[in-house]
Amino acid sequence: MIEQSPAFILLAPFFTAIFIALVGIRFRWICFPLVLISLTLSVIASVCTLFRVLDEGTLRYFLGGWAPPFGIEFRIDGLNALVAIVITVVALITGIYSRQRVLAETPDKVSQFYTLYLLLVAGLVGMVITGDAFNLYVLLEISSLTSYGLIAMGPKRATLATFKYIIMGTIGASFYLLGVGYLYIKTGSLNMLDIHEQLVANNLLGSQSVMVAFIMITIGVWIKMAFFPLHSWLPNAYAFAPTTTSSLLAPLVTKVMIYVMIRMMLTVFGVEYTFIQLDWSNIVIWMSVIAILSGSVMALAQTDLRKMLAFLIIAEVGYMVGGVWLADQSGMIGAIYHIISDAFMTLCVFLFAGIVFAKTGNRNINAVEGMFKKMPLTMMAFIVGAFSLIGIPPTCGFFSKWYLIQGGINSGHWEFVIALLLSSLINAILFFRIIEIAYFGANPAEGHGHHHTEEPKRSEASPSMLIPLLCTAALLLAIGIFNDPIIRIITDFVVATGLR
Amino acid sequence: MKIIGFIAVCITGWLLLSAINDFPDFGDPHSPANGYRLSQYYITDTFTDTSVPNMVTAVLADYRGYDTLFETVVIFTAGIAIIGILRRYGSSDKSVGRSKAFIEEPRKDLLIHTTCRLLIPIIQLFALYVIAHGHHSPGGGFQGGAIFGASFILLALAHNLKTAEKRMPERRILTLAGVGIFIYAGFGLACLILGNNFLDYSILHKLLPITPIEARSHSMLGVEIGVAFTVTAIMFSIYSNLVSSSRMKEGL
Repeated sequence: MIEQSPAFILLAPFFTAIFIALVGIRFRWICFPLVLISLTLSVIASVCTLFRVLDEGTLRYFLGGWAPPFGIEFRIDGLNALVAIVITVVALITGIYSRQRVLAETPDKVSQFYTLYLLLVAGLVGMVITGDAFNLYVLLEISSLTSYGLIAMGPKRATLATFKYIIMGTIGASFYLLGVGYLYIKTGSLNMLDIHEQLVANNLLGSQSVMVAFIMITIGVWIKMAFFPLHSWLPNAYAFAPTTTSSLLAPLVTKVMIYVMIRMMLTVFGVEYTFIQLDWSNIVIWMSVIAILSGSVMALAQTDLRKMLAFLIIAEVGYMVGGVWLADQSGMIGAIYHIISDAFMTLCVFLFAGIVFAKTGNRNINAVEGMFKKMPLTMMAFIVGAFSLIGIPPTCGFFSKWYLIQGGINSGHWEFVIALLLSSLINAILFFRIIEIAYFGANPAEGHGHHHTEEPKRSEASPSMLIPLLCTAALLLAIGIFNDPIIRIITDFVVATGLR
Repeated sequence: MKIIGFIAVCITGWLLLSAINDFPDFGDPHSPANGYRLSQYYITDTFTDTSVPNMVTAVLADYRGYDTLFETVVIFTAGIAIIGILRRYGSSDKSVGRSKAFIEEPRKDLLIHTTCRLLIPIIQLFALYVIAHGHHSPGGGFQGGAIFGASFILLALAHNLKTAEKRMPERRILTLAGVGIFIYAGFGLACLILGNNFLDYSILHKLLPITPIEARSHSMLGVEIGVAFTVTAIMFSIYSNLVSSSRMKEGL
């Protein structure tokens, strides 16, 4: 049975989603335990897969028993195995967290919510483990459709935000599909590795249409990941979505798209082509510098807690795109490591924002007032997440920034290094503002006199929300402290692609 | 904004057109997409591999059956998402404005009713033919399902939503849609349980007295039926949700 582990990562949430759609309406209580069981299975399967990849090298799983390029294959190396684990673990943590919020926010649509939730997880995992460029598009459709549905189930303003997201997302997916179509015209193949072999063997790398395919795929993926000038759908969609939805989407969707970009650049087109023949690194790095700075500055201007975090995601996307395009080994390692660490940091702060909203019903940053007294554990976890986003050791955010900065120095892109440091400073301002409000209150000068009169009671969030948050905070520390094995897996992958 | 959009469209169009010089000639039998081993393989080997004469179906439901499974899931997801977003439970009497006519008022038009009575069985029979013959001639689950779903929509248009919902209540829609996916994915799971990879139908010959190659052909018919279930149900579900402002009379 162990040789089926790649399939189980995807099939566990997929079958459970359909099952919930069938029976969840009549038996509402069954949804939540089923979600947890299926996601736990999925986590186990993905961990098994990673260990198998470490033992046996790249895994190939032929769907339908047809060898590629005739059939579709799952092709799993160190990179996808890691990203698959990140997806399943984040989904499991958010799944535990979802219990109360789903009942509170969408009480009569629990089964639809969880069906879409699990299908989204299946879609994201499928995108990551597949080795077929067109199959990636099909699963991209699944994950986009489910995320539109999940966001639109939020309060009133979510509908308009979703509409914007649908338009932008569809354009992005179409661009990707056009690119794959151009590649098919030139190579007659859809398998990623086979496309690369055909491009090299038939000497097609100089052709204009392959370049257009590259541009189309890259821009399509950029739209989907909200890279700076194409980001406008993201902040409102994530800010107005139901709590659980945004805690699942914010850590995963943009990161999976960055994975897709890396896969396309390194596996389909190859290092030679993307970095040496095209040589667009300078332009893209300047774009990512603008993305980082504008994301951080726009985050400063927000008063809505979740919207502020959403703008931080845009800055983080800039980190990763820049890191990838540095065309440097440590830059690439940093970018891939940042996919993992950023997924958990974003999860941590979004879980915190969800708890604040659940407790106070207020979206504003000032809602955290007095939280240190009321919810010390929640605040501790938040501080870990915030430190990680700022980049303070020993949290994992420090190490990914370290590699990114090293990559910037190695390749001589000082503008990227400066942007990273500036953005860390802005993050520090942002998060210390929140910590200050939580500790001293929104208006410390006024509130001082009343300080002793009303001592707020300690009231943590319920365990089903608190425990996931604490787990995430612990994971942030663990990934940071034990970064060595993870970095080694990533380094093996990066070295194998031939990047120096 | 309009000017920015116009410029973006122009640049994209120019980019797409600029690659055309590079393309193989239109209809060139030696172009990579036509002459390369992939298409050649499908053309020459499909029948010996799967015993299905219609190679489009073989590519769709077997070689790339995993894609098609998820294309079906796309339709299913769309249906569930529309129910999730639009459906409003309870207080079904408050259906407003124009939609009221679609749901309740019975229309007494002899001509329309008689035509429907004649047409609907034929449409449904034809749909079944398209589904059942998908792996031999053009057709299949998506097309057949769409035709079948259209027959219910015709019923709802000619009478009212209530009449159509008597034949196809909301709960049955959801069950049908889920069962459709289960049929498709169940074929895959059965292969996996019997020891092959997911969706490798050839091992199903153990369950029936047929050869592995025939097992592929029969399984393709099976998955087409699954697709048809889902497409039929979701077609009608989307129609009834949109037309009744999501307050279906015959609720859950």
